[in-house]
Amino acid sequence: MRYVVAVKQVPDTTLIDVDENGNMKRAGVPSILDPYSEQALEVALSLKTDGDTVTVVTMGPPQAESALRKCLENGADEAYLLTDRAFAGADVHATARTLAAFVEKFVDDASLLLFGKQAADGDTAQVPSEVAQMLGREQFCYCVKVSKEDGFTAVQDYGDEIRKCRVPEGSVLSVSEGDVNRRLPSIARYIEASHIEIKKLDRIALGLGAYSVGMNGSRTKIVKSVNVRSEHRGTVVDGSDPVKAAEHIRGMF
Amino acid sequence: MGCDSCSSGSCSNNDKSGLPPGMLQKYKLSIDRSDGFLVWIETERGPDGEPMMCQHCKELLGKIREMDAGNSRVWGVVFGHQELKPLYKEIYSYGVETLYEVHDKALSIYHPEAYAENIAQIVIRTEPAVILFGATPRGRELAPRVAALLDAGLTADCTGLELNDRELLMTRPAFGGNVMATIRCTTFPQIATVRPGTFPVPEPVGDKRGTVIYWQNASCTLKDILSSEIKETAGEDISRAKVLISLGAGVKKESIPVAESLARKLGGTVSCSRKLVEKGWFGQARQVGQSGKSVAPEIYLAFGISGAIQHLAGIGSAKKIIAINTDADAKISEVADEIIVGDANRILKELERML
Repeated sequence: MRYVVAVKQVPDTTLIDVDENGNMKRAGVPSILDPYSEQALEVALSLKTDGDTVTVVTMGPPQAESALRKCLENGADEAYLLTDRAFAGADVHATARTLAAFVEKFVDDASLLLFGKQAADGDTAQVPSEVAQMLGREQFCYCVKVSKEDGFTAVQDYGDEIRKCRVPEGSVLSVSEGDVNRRLPSIARYIEASHIEIKKLDRIALGLGAYSVGMNGSRTKIVKSVNVRSEHRGTVVDGSDPVKAAEHIRGMF
Repeated sequence: MGCDSCSSGSCSNNDKSGLPPGMLQKYKLSIDRSDGFLVWIETERGPDGEPMMCQHCKELLGKIREMDAGNSRVWGVVFGHQELKPLYKEIYSYGVETLYEVHDKALSIYHPEAYAENIAQIVIRTEPAVILFGATPRGRELAPRVAALLDAGLTADCTGLELNDRELLMTRPAFGGNVMATIRCTTFPQIATVRPGTFPVPEPVGDKRGTVIYWQNASCTLKDILSSEIKETAGEDISRAKVLISLGAGVKKESIPVAESLARKLGGTVSCSRKLVEKGWFGQARQVGQSGKSVAPEIYLAFGISGAIQHLAGIGSAKKIIAINTDADAKISEVADEIIVGDANRILKELERML
């Protein structure tokens, strides 16, 4: 069996700060493997038995290699980096198109395709479903538990409903925050992982046209972006006397 | 100017786009046919198991009416069977003119693939300019599937919509709420998922009438569901509360019952910041902010909340924000109408006693 995990490298959002103008201070913020991607990888590794392969893939700049290296250290067997200047500026549609092309061409035999529920930086959570549709496969979002008994089953959390489904082979799953037991990789694994070659694929290798990927293949465009931090300040009221302050609040109702 | 793409003059491509003949028509890039709005009417189970129209659909329909002033057509798509009949009147009263009911018992239960295929076919039939979904877990799963089927652009989790002729400008917070990005789709139909609680629920128009069209379900992709249990969502829905008593890290654990009691007296609900969810004092259903819920109360009382940008992203629609905090310079002061500098715990207690 082959499990494919699509991962993403993101800036460490917990460390992002803003300057006085409200602009993001990007410089110096380290890039990490997206925590949600890590969850998906853990699920794949927990399903893996002898003879199975876990393949990780990411689309990104050459630096994204470090995220793949981390996956290999954690236990993945092979890694693909989809990198090309033409991929820059991709929206959901173009990203999904690129990933779907990769799956069709290189890992069409995958038993499961796993994604994180969302990425910590973009927060859109739309890529898995678009990939599923482009490949014509079934999708299972918000999985909190994936198990292999008689075939695969997944438990999905829709917020108001917990649903357990039988999962056909080749389905696309997005993994929501669930219970995953993390093992620290051993030293031996670090050394082993450092010898695995990360395969790089560009647009031509994926057989995609220049107008299918990146900015050109996108269906949305950012018109403007506005810093929302304003100089607005509310009136300051002295609340050192709780009774007076409480009366003040009561007056508003 | 004649046609550049052929020399014989036999084609009638008179546009100046330089595209191959027929392409504009085929892909509906510039013709005036895509018009109107299509909304997925999501239903939920009521107390007696009967289907109810979700609140966010009313918000979406209200926003459409406000943007469009009733010039374009509004379609709704709903899935189910006989049990939906009592809902028709309500759906029309919020502005749906033509309701497509995908009439199949099996589809009373949510199946993303089948739902997406049917919505896409109805879109091809009706040619709307805009397709809207609520950014609920199901909406966010369904919308990208529909977008991929139609090869269309999609903007997720919008908190603002604006209409420029038929072009929809969608605004969503990006980079943890620091930046509001305005996005447009480059093709029709334009698809967006909109955060529940972003727009006010409009007044229904009681005598509005509409038409229902039964649509034959043409999809046979049904999920093999082994079990399904309805999860009790503890407490009331904070995104619909008129008054919110919101607690943050500056509040002691003893103050929680006080806040609950105050909320009851004011007819409101207690919500919280992410910190208190992390401490395990509240469930995630009560969390306000980017990773929690967007809220739109009349009055938002923020006790001991410093106001991380992610939190502020969730209270943009509140009518009035009163912050009670020991620090007058806390970030929440940037959005608060009033900041009361004092001990949140004591003021909370006094206020509860007074009412």
